[in-house]
Amino acid sequence: MGDGGGGRGGCCPPMDLFRSEPMQLVQLIIPIESAHHTISYLGDLGLIQFKDLNVEKSPFQRTYAAQIKKCAEMARKLRFFKEQMSKAGLSPSAKIMMRGDIDMDDLEVKLGELEAELVEINANGEKLQRAYSELAEYKLVLHKAGEFFYSIRSSATAQQREIEAHSISEESVDTPLLLEQEMSTDLSKQVKLGFLAGLVPRVKSMAFERILFRATRGNVFLRQSAVEDPVTDPVSGEKIEKNVFVVFYSGEKVKNKILKICEAFGANRYSFPEDLGKQAQMITEVSGRLSELKTTIDVGLLHRGNLLQTIGDQFEQWNLLVRKEKSIYHTLNMLSIDVTKKCLVAEGWSPTFATKQIQDALQRATFDSNSQVGAIFQVLHTIESPPTYFRTNKFTSAFQEIVDAYGVAKYQEANPGVFTIVTFPFLFAVMFGDWGHGLCLLLATLFFIIREKKLSNQKLGDITEMTFGGRYVILMMALFSIYTGLIYNEFFSVPFELFGPSAYACRDLSCRDASTAGLIKVRRTYPFGVDPVWHGSRSELPFLNSLKMKMSILIGVAQMNLGIILSYFNAKFFQNSLNIWFQFVPQMIFLNSLFGYLSVLIIVKWCTGSQADLYHIMIYMFLSPTDDLGENQLFIGQKTGQIVLLLLALVAVPWMLLPKPFLMKKQHEERHQSQLYVPLQSTEDSFQLDTSHDSHDHEEFEFGEVFVHQLIHTIEFVLGAVSNTASYLRLWALSLAHSELSSVFYEKVLLLAWGFNNVIILIVGIIVFICATIGVLLVMETLSAFLHALRLHWVEFQNKFYEGDGYKFCPFSFALLSEEDD
Amino acid sequence: MGFFVTTLIFIMVGIIASLMVRICCNRGPSANLLHSTLVITATACCWVMWAIVYLAQMNPLIVPILNEVE
Repeated sequence: MGDGGGGRGGCCPPMDLFRSEPMQLVQLIIPIESAHHTISYLGDLGLIQFKDLNVEKSPFQRTYAAQIKKCAEMARKLRFFKEQMSKAGLSPSAKIMMRGDIDMDDLEVKLGELEAELVEINANGEKLQRAYSELAEYKLVLHKAGEFFYSIRSSATAQQREIEAHSISEESVDTPLLLEQEMSTDLSKQVKLGFLAGLVPRVKSMAFERILFRATRGNVFLRQSAVEDPVTDPVSGEKIEKNVFVVFYSGEKVKNKILKICEAFGANRYSFPEDLGKQAQMITEVSGRLSELKTTIDVGLLHRGNLLQTIGDQFEQWNLLVRKEKSIYHTLNMLSIDVTKKCLVAEGWSPTFATKQIQDALQRATFDSNSQVGAIFQVLHTIESPPTYFRTNKFTSAFQEIVDAYGVAKYQEANPGVFTIVTFPFLFAVMFGDWGHGLCLLLATLFFIIREKKLSNQKLGDITEMTFGGRYVILMMALFSIYTGLIYNEFFSVPFELFGPSAYACRDLSCRDASTAGLIKVRRTYPFGVDPVWHGSRSELPFLNSLKMKMSILIGVAQMNLGIILSYFNAKFFQNSLNIWFQFVPQMIFLNSLFGYLSVLIIVKWCTGSQADLYHIMIYMFLSPTDDLGENQLFIGQKTGQIVLLLLALVAVPWMLLPKPFLMKKQHEERHQSQLYVPLQSTEDSFQLDTSHDSHDHEEFEFGEVFVHQLIHTIEFVLGAVSNTASYLRLWALSLAHSELSSVFYEKVLLLAWGFNNVIILIVGIIVFICATIGVLLVMETLSAFLHALRLHWVEFQNKFYEGDGYKFCPFSFALLSEEDD
Repeated sequence: MGFFVTTLIFIMVGIIASLMVRICCNRGPSANLLHSTLVITATACCWVMWAIVYLAQMNPLIVPILNEVE
């Protein structure tokens, strides 16, 4: 039931964050005139998740489609402004100056005006810029061509005369008589040459020359001169390397050909005055116009800059406003409109604690919009499953996100996030255990935490964003790592005698046997952590491996028991006694009679110092339980105890598997029986008939399906008991890897560098050591241990009790808006 | 002997930490229960790890064999 009906068992006092907030389905009936204000205030509150009541309608059929289009237009204009600002190198000021309430219609008009003005300024600017580039090119042509014009002109004329002389001497039968006559008259005239001057891009200049030559059959004279600096091309606006060219030709047809070739190559032509005096005049004129244009362009840019500045000051505020409006209209589109009654009906999920706040918001909206009628608030009853909402603060939200990443909790089931806050950093630390590295992590994360306020307003890169979001997780990880580092006695793999003298000493004063038979324990056990004498000894690994493996098993069995106990609390809360007796109890018995017993054996062996072989005990417990234990006897009555535990474990398996499906079938039939009587009484009341039909339909009972489900669950648990316990051995594996890596870097880099007694080698060694420590141990190992601790939680811990098939509560909230768009 | 004394110390530290958290951030019974649970879980984890390492060293089956002294 949506609002906590169905009787929740309160076996224990309520704990924050342990179960998701009780939610209710609310229905709001809002008069149209106060709709906008209402949704706006509810958006500020951020505690209602609206249901879309107009799912069948397309976006264009919805009530407020026109307003959304308006908002989209305004958003487009704002995007255009932002683009222009970034092109000009300005950025919108981050401070949002609240200049009172801005009316949306006024804003629309203002944005339209600003856009038109900006577009106009841009167009004008472009025109001016183009004219400027053209004039600049013209000036270049005047300068350059003027230098070599007369010399090439004379050589061109000479060449032309030669060509004509050749053509006359190469008379053939084919030349028509008329041509002969023309040519003879031409000889006497002054050779008339036309010329064209302009600029051609340097990359195309060779091709230009070649094609000109071919097209005119060599009857032109081209001279090019390179321009040193790149020239701004008027058409494209980019700086291109160009050459100034002058081409001499004779004849109209040749001129047309040359013009077409110039066009094809994008060579700009400029009229070049032949007269020297005119040239000088042109140059001064062009220079004058250039400087005029420059001032005009500068003034234009200044004006544009000012305009963009004023836009930039208000940009963030406008942006926010437009996004708010758009979201308000999107939400309004989800409400169903009751045209006859002139009001909107809204349905949504909200937490029960928010009832008063919502009603306050509704009242304020009614007051502010001067509406005659107030909005109506009522709670609906439904069998739909509500969304899951946890009220987290900045510390717990990161841990909750870790849990949610695997699956959002079902409505009001036990939240593993509570224990994850402690066990996740703890398991990380078991795998990371080095208090030197822990201190480095602590310093890194304190940096983030101290500058929290400043960093949360900035835009950070992807990886920094993730690290910043997880700063409290890393803080806990660092603190626990310092603790486990002290226990493993490793400071960058170096042990210290911080808590008293080591427990071991030589057998006799000469210490002859130290490398063969070893030391003996003379004092009391080292009080806190691993004895410092172990590091570097030959039997270090056998000892530490045994210790860490057994520790992993013990921690694993403890965490799995916690998981099964949480399933008990879930069953109690949802009042599912079947789950308690036919799931929780056999699961506890099975796990503890096998692996709980193993844990007990480990502890007894440590306490008594017996030499019993635990592998042997466990394996022969199954293979031949009735055999005599001999030297593997750890306590009296062990044989009978083992037989009893084995029988319990064997009984637990069918206990988990068989009764539950049959009992569920019986329960379903009982409920079904009691409902068969209902239709006789209430044929007039169609509502009740509908709901009973609904509930009947929802509870179709397929016995085969339920049995298979229970079979899978049982097999998963039984096999999982072995595999999950073994999975916890990764705590040993990673811890070993970390300490070995750390030890290698210390001994083979730092100590080696120290051994050379050379300052330079020492410095190089220190740098290599620091880089290796940061890169491999602090970054890679952290990620690795993080990942494995995560896996242990998600799989081994949560599969004992977590269902995780809920959906998250996403309220309509302006605060969440600003996060999602950017 | 040393085991029980230190276990007692852990229990005391747990209780004191719990009380301190209760004093400095008192935010209603459900929040207090959460804080106490977290503190007790943390103390229990820390104690478990210490106890395991201590018990493993109480009656050692292998002893440190030093490397050849260079």
